[in-house]
Amino acid sequence: MALIEVTNLKKSFGNQEVLKSISFSVDKKEVIAMIGPSGSGKSTLLRSLIHLEEIDNGSICIDGDFLVKDGQYANQADIRKITGKMGMVFQHFNLFPHLTVKENLILAPKLRKSESMEEIEKRCMDLLRKVGLSDKANAYPSNLSGGQKQRVAIARSLMLNPQILLFDEPTSALDPELTGEVLKVMKDLAEEHMTMIVVTHEMGFAREVANRVIFMDGGEIIESNEPEQFFQHPQHERTKAFLHKNWK
Amino acid sequence: MVDYWNRIVWPMLEGAQMTILLFFIAILVSIPLGFILTLAVQSRFKPLAWLSQIYITVMRGTPLLLQLLLICFGLPMLPVVGEYLVFDRFVAACIGFVLNYAAYFAEIFRGGLISIDKGQYEAAKVLGLTKWQTTTRIILPQMFRVALPAVANESITLIKDTALLYAVAVPELLHFAQTAVNREFTIVPYFIAGVIYLAMTLILTVFFKWLERRYKYE
Repeated sequence: MALIEVTNLKKSFGNQEVLKSISFSVDKKEVIAMIGPSGSGKSTLLRSLIHLEEIDNGSICIDGDFLVKDGQYANQADIRKITGKMGMVFQHFNLFPHLTVKENLILAPKLRKSESMEEIEKRCMDLLRKVGLSDKANAYPSNLSGGQKQRVAIARSLMLNPQILLFDEPTSALDPELTGEVLKVMKDLAEEHMTMIVVTHEMGFAREVANRVIFMDGGEIIESNEPEQFFQHPQHERTKAFLHKNWK
Repeated sequence: MVDYWNRIVWPMLEGAQMTILLFFIAILVSIPLGFILTLAVQSRFKPLAWLSQIYITVMRGTPLLLQLLLICFGLPMLPVVGEYLVFDRFVAACIGFVLNYAAYFAEIFRGGLISIDKGQYEAAKVLGLTKWQTTTRIILPQMFRVALPAVANESITLIKDTALLYAVAVPELLHFAQTAVNREFTIVPYFIAGVIYLAMTLILTVFFKWLERRYKYE
């Protein structure tokens, strides 16, 4: 069974229909790169999965539980439980500026109270080591570079052991020379078979790391294929036009 | 010299106590009240939001001195209820300062609140924080930090505004200075009063600078 199952998802902002009956599914361990021109609805789609946007109609099923079924949302407690299976990394990091790196990581698991402080702190330091920032545990976000901030944000989202990680343009706010360190961490996660959906403009990442590329335009999924096929033999005219403009 | 001290400076320092007392009462009550007003203005219950906004507009839009005169001398003149609204002058002054400054603090906190990026709320939400946890752990600490310089400024203004008590005949610092000027026929007490006000505002300035450094998050 698919880990994420989206059917006939519809969403409008006012009169503007931003998602026009989207259906797709994601299997466990898949890494999906979602690409497309700005305004194509890919970020809105990603945000809908974790309930940062409310959809107007359709269904979203996560790991067998319906977040929303035919436009009817689950109750508050179930929504929390279901969205808790996912972590999210934002374009602008959204670290908490008044907390140190370590405090950013341990806040959510500490408030959840389901494990001991020792376990939480150990995982915190393990994750910081994994993203190469154990020496920054006591630094405040304002003293980090953009790439470091995003790596902290990824570590923070991993603290709750999510089954799925959503990335909303994780490298778009970074200087070009800093994108590499973030992409490296994401690549490591992919190799550990974390299920990931990555909205990105990084064609290199989409091609090398993703198992599947989904191309969106005008609120629709135009094409969905394996990277090799997608980049070498795009089927749709709009895909060809987009690739021609953005990747060579 | 000792005589001079006893006749002029000592009463002024006693008056300064009144000033300091009023300052602490006003600040300790009007900051929480201002914060509640901030929340009320943001309330989804519209009548409460409107009433709070009207309150803030009126309190900020009219002179504090007028409000003090109204509370001290105006309220007791009201028909029927007036006789129940006769307060001790100092109590009346405290009420006036608290009501007035709460409106200013409400606006300061509102500024702090709207300066917080919506990404902070979203990050808290995807990390599974409840609304209450988001407010107390993420939003309020940042709001108070942003508001700190403005709160410092307002506190210094409050110290100096206590001189308005002179107009409603509460014996505070300026009152004793004026008494001494009249009695001794010298302007020295004015300067002494100035030095005492300056000392109080300097202490406040140093305190708030320390707070700002303490919560710099760097």
